[in-house]
Amino acid sequence: MIRDVLSPFTAWKNLFREPVTIKDPLNERPGSARYRGFHQNDLDKCIGCGTCETICQNGAIDMLPVDGVPAKLGDSGLRPRIDYGRCCWCALCVDVCMTGSLTMSNEYKWIESDPDKYLYMPGVDKKHWDNAELGYRRHEERHLSPGDRVDMPELHAEERIGSFIEMVKGYDIAQAQLEADRCVSCGLCIASCPAHMAIPDYIKAVRNGDYERGVQLLYETNPFSQVCGRVCTHCCESACAARHEGDPIAIRWLKRHIIDQVPQERILQLIGKPAAPTGKKVAIVGAGPAGLTTAFDLARLGHAVTVFEAQAAGGGMTRYGIPEYRLPYDALDRDIAVITAMGVEIKYNHRVGTDISMQQLETDYDAVVLAIGLHQGRSTRIPGSDHPQVRKAVDLLRQITTGEKIDVPKSMVVIGGGNVAMDIARSMARLQMQQYGEIRVTLTALEDKAHFLADPVEVKESIEEQINILDSRGPQACVIDADGKLLGLKTWKVLSIFDEDRRFAPKYDPADEQIHEGKMIVEAIGQMADVSLLGDALTEKLEWNRGRIQIDPNGRTSEHWLWSAGDCVKGPDVINAVADGHRVATSIHCVLTQQEAKI
Amino acid sequence: MSEASIERLKSKTTLKEILAVATEFERTARDFYTALAPKVQKNIRYLVQELAEEEQRHYDLFTQLAERTDLEQQLQVEVERPVSDHKFSDCIHLPDLGEQPDDQAVLQYALMREHAAMEQYHSLAQSTESGPIHDLFLFLANEETKHKNELEKVYYETVHSGGV
Amino acid sequence: MFELDRSQYPQKKPDGTLDIDLSSGKYLKLWQGPQHPGITGNMAIELTVCGDEVVEGKTHVGYLHRGFEKLMERRTFMQCFPIVCRICVPEPDFNEYCYAAAVEELAGLEVPEMANWIRTLILEMGRINSYLMYLGGQAGALGLGVIGQWTTYVRDLMLDRFEELTGARIYHMFILPGGVRDRLPEGFAGRMEKALQEIESTLGDVEKVMFHNAVFKKRTVGVGVIEAGWVDSYGITGPNARAAGVAKDVRKDQPYLVYPELDFELVTGKDSDIYARADVRRRDLLLSVDLIRQILAKMPKTGEVMAKLPNVLHWKIPRGETYVRGECSRGEYGYYLVTDGSGYPRRVNVRGPSYTHSIALFERMVINANISDVAALLVSLHTYPPEIER
Repeated sequence: MIRDVLSPFTAWKNLFREPVTIKDPLNERPGSARYRGFHQNDLDKCIGCGTCETICQNGAIDMLPVDGVPAKLGDSGLRPRIDYGRCCWCALCVDVCMTGSLTMSNEYKWIESDPDKYLYMPGVDKKHWDNAELGYRRHEERHLSPGDRVDMPELHAEERIGSFIEMVKGYDIAQAQLEADRCVSCGLCIASCPAHMAIPDYIKAVRNGDYERGVQLLYETNPFSQVCGRVCTHCCESACAARHEGDPIAIRWLKRHIIDQVPQERILQLIGKPAAPTGKKVAIVGAGPAGLTTAFDLARLGHAVTVFEAQAAGGGMTRYGIPEYRLPYDALDRDIAVITAMGVEIKYNHRVGTDISMQQLETDYDAVVLAIGLHQGRSTRIPGSDHPQVRKAVDLLRQITTGEKIDVPKSMVVIGGGNVAMDIARSMARLQMQQYGEIRVTLTALEDKAHFLADPVEVKESIEEQINILDSRGPQACVIDADGKLLGLKTWKVLSIFDEDRRFAPKYDPADEQIHEGKMIVEAIGQMADVSLLGDALTEKLEWNRGRIQIDPNGRTSEHWLWSAGDCVKGPDVINAVADGHRVATSIHCVLTQQEAKI
Repeated sequence: MSEASIERLKSKTTLKEILAVATEFERTARDFYTALAPKVQKNIRYLVQELAEEEQRHYDLFTQLAERTDLEQQLQVEVERPVSDHKFSDCIHLPDLGEQPDDQAVLQYALMREHAAMEQYHSLAQSTESGPIHDLFLFLANEETKHKNELEKVYYETVHSGGV
Repeated sequence: MFELDRSQYPQKKPDGTLDIDLSSGKYLKLWQGPQHPGITGNMAIELTVCGDEVVEGKTHVGYLHRGFEKLMERRTFMQCFPIVCRICVPEPDFNEYCYAAAVEELAGLEVPEMANWIRTLILEMGRINSYLMYLGGQAGALGLGVIGQWTTYVRDLMLDRFEELTGARIYHMFILPGGVRDRLPEGFAGRMEKALQEIESTLGDVEKVMFHNAVFKKRTVGVGVIEAGWVDSYGITGPNARAAGVAKDVRKDQPYLVYPELDFELVTGKDSDIYARADVRRRDLLLSVDLIRQILAKMPKTGEVMAKLPNVLHWKIPRGETYVRGECSRGEYGYYLVTDGSGYPRRVNVRGPSYTHSIALFERMVINANISDVAALLVSLHTYPPEIER
């Protein structure tokens, strides 16, 4: 008991202790290395994807435009503004950041008399902690950001090289859902897509397994989902937020997955019947993606559409330029069948300019659309390039599609480093394999491997298929012997293609000369539109813009009855052609209904 | 052997002569392109017209030079005839591009011309002492190089397009 | 022992309710709280007194209602994570752990071993914080102000460790569904050991000044007795039950995380009065110090800290329900989670021990208490109002 009375007095010993408090905590007490203090944002790394805004459960983040940060491909131009009246410093925004631009400093003191100041944009509103080295960073393993892309099952090189069977197998449902799960729905892709497809929404449809909704979304912006799901140039994937630290979402494959899941009859039911006939007639020259998209849109609006196609089947370059192993003809046929089901009449084997003149179309129809693509190959015009065994890639590809007999050479050289060059090299390699059991295709490109125009995937697959790809080789002459037989291609080493201003100015090293053996040489360097169908009078009447027909932003030419769309005015790209088709269809519909109103 | 060819065989020439040849070079080119323009299809006419305009600009430049009195002295100076001279003056002769040349043929011809001119002025610049004349040739070489570069870009965009 | 000295007021009516006639002039209504030094946080007690004796006590809560359980029904599973810690301010980590464990169970996630060790470490650190706060509060309720100063100082050392480990001092937000955010920082164990030594030394002082203190004993021994029989009928858990000799502890009864790999004995008392409860908590605190040392010695040095998560922006969890519990400084802490296959929880129910202790049990215990003991009695139940009203 006495102990209990005395013991408390031991507290007096503390009289002689130093105080434990920090004298000047404002200056002497920095936050720890992981401290979740005020935000920092590296404006150059930030892409304005808004994933931080999405995950913030307090609604403390708003994405706002900033002066001097323009929107561009893969960057919305918006930057996060944080409301420190709402922020709870949970750092989920940092963890989920797709580029790692958003971090937190270890600074935690901020005194202000104006409460509105606490609405601030890290990185934009300069603060003394902007360059603080300590503070919370996203874990290097990126716990909350999406993981790796689901590999697309494909035929191996040995399996595919002997035939034209489609090499990409397509995702199954489980794989597609895994891949769709990676999407953060930021929507940067929508802006990048020429047709502005509702990409995050249809990816969501994949996640939810709601493929019918997916098909409806696809058809809202693109009647060529079979085609684009396989061969689209997918600008969307180069805008994807996920590409910054890993592979972009396989948007193209997911599109194909949706369309693969829904039977053709159901697709027709889902998109419904076209509108009542308007009595207006539209002629479209060329049944490629641009022409048929225009046709689809106009037919759905009730206009009577006739498409004139010089070839025996529709699809344009997607059929006659893209090999079957990339885009099987039946997939293309399914897309076209939906379009014809809307009442579009396609007159095959009708070459405008020969079978029917442009003047005739002008007289017979309320509007005419020129969507003739780029079907003429360019030549290098090097010495010997007029030899009959020197061919153009587009012509040869067309022959392969139509099934014409081709004299397959045992060895050949392809000039060009673009996708068309890869297409013809790989197609011919397959034919060589079928006929001779071995492949001897050499491909020479001006560009070095790092600057190839072809898709990196195409290059990789070509190499897998034993195509001998030689980069930085400038063609000098086609070597022909005394009997007029083609021996091969002479090339010089390319030292540089572009000057310091990125202008084309090839420099060769004549000392490094090589002759590549080939009984055939295929030029795949470029294409142009065959505008001879216009006739001299119309050619002279039309306004031109640097070699192409001049069009206004809606695709209308200087002639009031004529519109033009697709590759022939915009350069080669399927999805651009589709977008162009929509634009032209809208413009025509507008003009036709205005005429109606006047009467 | 024509008079011009004999002239060419001489190893020395004066600047005045060189400038005269250059002026002639630009004038014939301008006339050639101007005459060609209506003959080609309208879709590539822009190309020929642009070339004619460019040559006219060069021609104006040379005429102005000839009228400058301050250069009179220097113009009489003899210089070594450059190796490229032969190729250069050959260009004065009009080529045969056929009735209706296409864009690629026009561009190839124009490129060849510009290349010859560029080489000519470069070697002239090298064979003159530094001074106003040297600077003049450098300037001309630079002009032609710029024009050639522009043309090469147009060539690449025209011919090597659609290849993707 | 004091029970017998107390009056038998109030008398009961035949139907068993209390016979209190406020107009008789015999009784007085007295409010303690919501602003009152003798109350633990944002709640109030409505006392009916007769002289200095409490004849009835009613608790009033709702001053801190933020509707977290409801908020979570409109947030994705990952978005709920920064919310849950706010349900208990002084010891938030149990919310993070229970919520994460419930989500992981329903989503079928396997948490890496490293994360389990770090989670256990954090929970024990949180327990120390909570007890240190309690000791200061318990002593303060009886006028021993100096104890609070000491425990606040050593608690600050623990907060420093929290700050360097988790990046925050109070709301740590470190235990995510799937694991924990990061590994221990370099040199953490050494700095932790220093803090633990300081805590032990301070606790020695506390023992001398608080527990061997005639005044403290006089005010607490025999006061506020919880009968062992009440434990089950009132749902009493944690030190409140252990001080009554009932060895209840989720860490032993239903071991979770890495507790099976730690060597420890439950701390129990027998007198079940305020003094006994304070003493059990002091000894439990020392047990936590020991457990932290064991964890730091035994835990793996490398390893993953997070399971592979699906994309958290649209994470859907299959239909299911579960109840996950753990032993916090006040007793059993539990999360009942129901999912319906969507991206949001269908229902989250938080079982905080403070609810049973500070409402049902307290209202029972306050009857016949002296007014001057009410504060000490309430503090001795160690309740945190935020978790009463989620």
